[in-house]
Amino acid sequence: MSGDHIHPEPTTFLRKHVFSFDHKVIAKQFLWFGMLWLLIGGVMAMMIRWQLANPGQPVPVLGALLFPRTGGVIDPASYNMLFTMHGTIMIFLGLTPVLIGCFGNWCIPLMIGARDMIFPTLNMLSFWTVFLGGMVGLWSMFVPLGASEAGWTGYPTLSTTVGTQGTGETLWAVAVFLIGASSIMGGINYITTIIRLRAPGMGWMDMPLTVWGLFFTAVLNVLFLPVIGSAMLLLIMDRVFGTAFYVPASLLTGGSGGDPILYQHLFWIFGHPEVYILILPAWGIVADLLSFFARKPAFGYKVTVGAMFAVTVLSAVVYGHHMFTTGLSAMLGESFMLLTMIISVPGEILFFNWLHTLWKGSLRLTTPMLFAMGVIFVFGLGGLTGLYLATISTDIFLHDTYFVVGHFHLTMAASALFGAFGATYFFFPKMFGRMLDERLGKLHFWTTIIPLTVVFSTMFVSGYSGMPRRYYDHTSADYLKPLQHLNVLTSVAAFVLGASQLIFAWNFVRSRWWGKKAVDNPWEIGTLDWSMPTPVPHYNFKEIPVVHTGPHEFSHPALKGRDWIPQTEKLPA
Amino acid sequence: MSRDQSHPRARRALAALSLLPLLAAGVAAQEAAVVERYGPGPAASTFGEPFQYLFWLITTLVSVSFAIVLVLLLVPVLRDRARPGHKASYDHGRSLHDKRFTAVVSVIVFVVLDAWVLVVAMADLRDGYWKIPPPDAPGVLKVEVLAQQWAWNFRTPGVDGEFGTADDVLSTNQLTVPEGRPVSLNLTSKDVIHALFLPDMRLKRDANPGAVNVAWFEATRAGEFDILCAELCGYAHYQMHGKLHVLDQGAYDAWEQEASRLAVAAFDTEDTEAHWAWAWQE
Amino acid sequence: MNAPSLLLAGMALMAGLLPTPRASDEAHGDTAGLPPVHGLDARAPIGVPLEIDAENWLRAPGEDWFAARAEQEPGRFTYVEELLDAGGEMVGGWKDAQGEFALRYDEDEEEVAYWQRVGADRLTRGRRDFVQFCASCHGFEGDGAGRSGMALRPPPRNFQQPMFKFSKVPGDFLPSDDALVRLVQRGLNGTPMLPWALSDEQLRDILQYVKSLSPEGQGWRDVYIEIQDVVESGDDPWAGKEAEGIARGEEVYHGVARCHSCHPGYVTPARLAEISGTAGEGRPDLSYPVAKATDKYTVGGHPMLLLPPDFTWHEVRSGTELRDLFETIGSGIGGTAMPKWKDSVPDADIWAMAHYVRHLIDQYKGKTEARAAFMAGLRK
Repeated sequence: MSGDHIHPEPTTFLRKHVFSFDHKVIAKQFLWFGMLWLLIGGVMAMMIRWQLANPGQPVPVLGALLFPRTGGVIDPASYNMLFTMHGTIMIFLGLTPVLIGCFGNWCIPLMIGARDMIFPTLNMLSFWTVFLGGMVGLWSMFVPLGASEAGWTGYPTLSTTVGTQGTGETLWAVAVFLIGASSIMGGINYITTIIRLRAPGMGWMDMPLTVWGLFFTAVLNVLFLPVIGSAMLLLIMDRVFGTAFYVPASLLTGGSGGDPILYQHLFWIFGHPEVYILILPAWGIVADLLSFFARKPAFGYKVTVGAMFAVTVLSAVVYGHHMFTTGLSAMLGESFMLLTMIISVPGEILFFNWLHTLWKGSLRLTTPMLFAMGVIFVFGLGGLTGLYLATISTDIFLHDTYFVVGHFHLTMAASALFGAFGATYFFFPKMFGRMLDERLGKLHFWTTIIPLTVVFSTMFVSGYSGMPRRYYDHTSADYLKPLQHLNVLTSVAAFVLGASQLIFAWNFVRSRWWGKKAVDNPWEIGTLDWSMPTPVPHYNFKEIPVVHTGPHEFSHPALKGRDWIPQTEKLPA
Repeated sequence: MSRDQSHPRARRALAALSLLPLLAAGVAAQEAAVVERYGPGPAASTFGEPFQYLFWLITTLVSVSFAIVLVLLLVPVLRDRARPGHKASYDHGRSLHDKRFTAVVSVIVFVVLDAWVLVVAMADLRDGYWKIPPPDAPGVLKVEVLAQQWAWNFRTPGVDGEFGTADDVLSTNQLTVPEGRPVSLNLTSKDVIHALFLPDMRLKRDANPGAVNVAWFEATRAGEFDILCAELCGYAHYQMHGKLHVLDQGAYDAWEQEASRLAVAAFDTEDTEAHWAWAWQE
Repeated sequence: MNAPSLLLAGMALMAGLLPTPRASDEAHGDTAGLPPVHGLDARAPIGVPLEIDAENWLRAPGEDWFAARAEQEPGRFTYVEELLDAGGEMVGGWKDAQGEFALRYDEDEEEVAYWQRVGADRLTRGRRDFVQFCASCHGFEGDGAGRSGMALRPPPRNFQQPMFKFSKVPGDFLPSDDALVRLVQRGLNGTPMLPWALSDEQLRDILQYVKSLSPEGQGWRDVYIEIQDVVESGDDPWAGKEAEGIARGEEVYHGVARCHSCHPGYVTPARLAEISGTAGEGRPDLSYPVAKATDKYTVGGHPMLLLPPDFTWHEVRSGTELRDLFETIGSGIGGTAMPKWKDSVPDADIWAMAHYVRHLIDQYKGKTEARAAFMAGLRK
């Protein structure tokens, strides 16, 4: 074989499966890790929805186990823990490992024609750091006074010792810090690998859009995770060493000392790019999947890249739209409003290109394709409702209501998760050598998207009706009692949504070991990863390929007998 | 390898899908029968109309946009399904025409969806939320709001119009204001961040510890309205609610007289710890 | 035209269109010139202790209480002959299902009393729940000096001083666990003491911890003290004839009980003279309440001034159901000028007063115009 391997073939069990340097193994570690935490976070969501629909009623099955002192009822403090950990887990321990950890690791080297990431040790460390972060998060649930209750946003002074005693909140901050460190490591790896290890002929504009999405995500990770890392460090110092970064010297009279609003700025300077961190890989995957399964080139490749770039650049200067009610000055508020509206334009361009990709294609409605089109649906719905929240005078009413919850679940949870599902169904044959059952996949899709739409659209109605978020019991206030049926509807649909994920879990586990064996290129795709045999050898490419064609050369008129061409071949004249 | 693109199955799938709108309509009808209120209820402040207009403007624009997206998504699904002999068109979208088209659509979308809304919103803000009445303007009622875990403390200056005197009217979770007069608020907190949410007045503002936020509203009709907390402040965040009583002018003056008199009866000059008024912030 | 310059142009346009923001639009206004409020300058303590190491023995109700309870709730308490006291001696006494009670003979005091053993683990659970749910107002040491309780009037209860206003237990007796649970579960109207959503088990653990805050020789560590239940109310004799009850209540209120010496009087001076039989009894400001100082509760070292509620205006803290009103009037409000009326006047008269107060609340509280008219009529 030409060239050296980046690292020698592992021989021991530990080196092969636990402390592996192979990006493909690390990808699978991230996948299992992320899926487990998605399950935990999902169960928490089910408990939240149970309490909201049946306030004060014992939780079936789990209640007696988890809440013995209240007879199975979730008490208000535990409820706050549930939604705090639900948010933290889903974002940092669920979506990030799956979308960025797993698919970043799997796709990047294989798609650009590299044998592995450029820093394999750093890669391995990045997984074990997020693993450690998860363990710290788990530990925080078992300390006296329990886990963090201050929301995944953890605003001081509620998250300082003024509002929360106990070590749970401190451990939460440590966990977020560690997970952030892991993502920074990954980001450095991804950026450098993409810049340095592209195969000859793989120009920047010849990469699949998945790689572009992951590239921009990595840039955002590297730039902004240090900000939340510092925010967490300051919080830890306030909680443990009694410093005053976020605590004013006198709570009533202010004066010299700390400022709780400082945290909000730091948090959202990270927090807004974070939502783009979560969605950019999904956008890249969707752009690719739409092209692959419409058998048509991705429409406006360069414009799509440009739009992703614009979003990346603008993501840092829109964060103030999370703070419209905190008392920002008029000028700041209006600037953020304008910029937030501007950042919607590249998003709209993406939609345009996606829809144009489908237009006059030859659509193969496989499960990955359904999820990709599902992203168009859920992100369209969720993204458009962002306009209400970007506009200050409507946001003043809608801030901290269920309207926001519906909005960010559709854009962040549903869209990113659909991207992840689409990628899972798509890459499964190459990762595990078997096909996920197509019928179960389609059933999973439909039994997910329909209840999901019901759940989060109802939240728009609840929010517009003035229902605040993070409430333990909406029947306590007169204003909200008439809305309780909306909660019941949301919860029933949420239970259906939760149950239908079991279809996926069953499909995944069963197909992993007993599924139909896959051929090397079941979807007939020309990107470099699909040119590999299954299972992919640990060195990936025996000889580094030379790239002659783009990733989306489908249905070229000169192609005979097939509608696709591998990137290593030249297009016929 | 296309697997399931044979037409009969597609037709059956479509038939099943077309039941969805029926299902949705059924769910909506059921909900309409049992949910007592959709929407925030009629507004009771001067912010109400602009909010209503803007909300429905955005809803119209967003609905039309989403409908367009759905159509553009469904047409290829129905028309361009893979079948034997059917080829996709080969189009990278690189042509100048395509780029111009993209640019034009982007500009139209920005102007229609964003700029229009932006212009309306900015007028709302400058004529509404940000037009805080100067504190010495006649008829302005000043209210100091001290939020805590888990209650609202309200202080109005009483008949003498000055904070920090014996006739300051103090109340827990109940705020009484006059109709038709601007009510200016100073908000702060004793402990963690809270947010005063007056849904019928379409007003929300954070109450931060260590700093004073300024907000205002003017009630347009008398009645009893709700006060909620809208920033997570601990386990009893959901219990932090109260009532806003809006009285017409005459009734308010009489109420204020009586309230000041009772406040004087309860006032303890020596109890300096309880005197939490602050100098009014603009 | 590239993206960055477009952006800058947009921002310049925005800045040009904007009026100069007013100072009032800036957040974090200077709050100088305010009196420092005690305690709010203190930052929250780091590393609050969450563990109680030692078990506590706390006073329990007496023999009669147990006997009555055993009758009313068979199976809850059992009398056993061989009960070990804290000194290891065998004495007869009452046990509950957890075997936590014991009769103890205190040699110094030469007194026999029931004590309840509260284990360290139970106290630890109670302590942790207390920190979680109660300490923000009641303070981490239960001394009422919590950060959120600052400047609150009435201030949060100081548990190091074992006295309660609204426990509905007569006079100077300590409330039983059941009475305390009731108090917390129902909250106090018009104050930040809300009806918290805690389970019975959590509440009882918290209450054992609160009881353990009694200083040595006081409250639940006082061998002489008596623990009682909520005052007994019996049946309402005016049920079905409310109008008569209200009329009788008005008479008792302004007559025998002279409630108007602290609370407002709700009759004209002429009617007052009629009821009390003497002229000139009314104060000039008859229809307003009079604040009373009590040195049982102090703030900043001096006696607290308490304003008795005007039933047509203020919240009645301890509940407005007829039975609640009976219990409050009957048991008085501990440590304040509100006396206990049970056994001072017949129960029927207390019920009558309850009806009368309830009538005042129903007719006038929250009804601005009706109340104004009523008061104007009294003050002519």
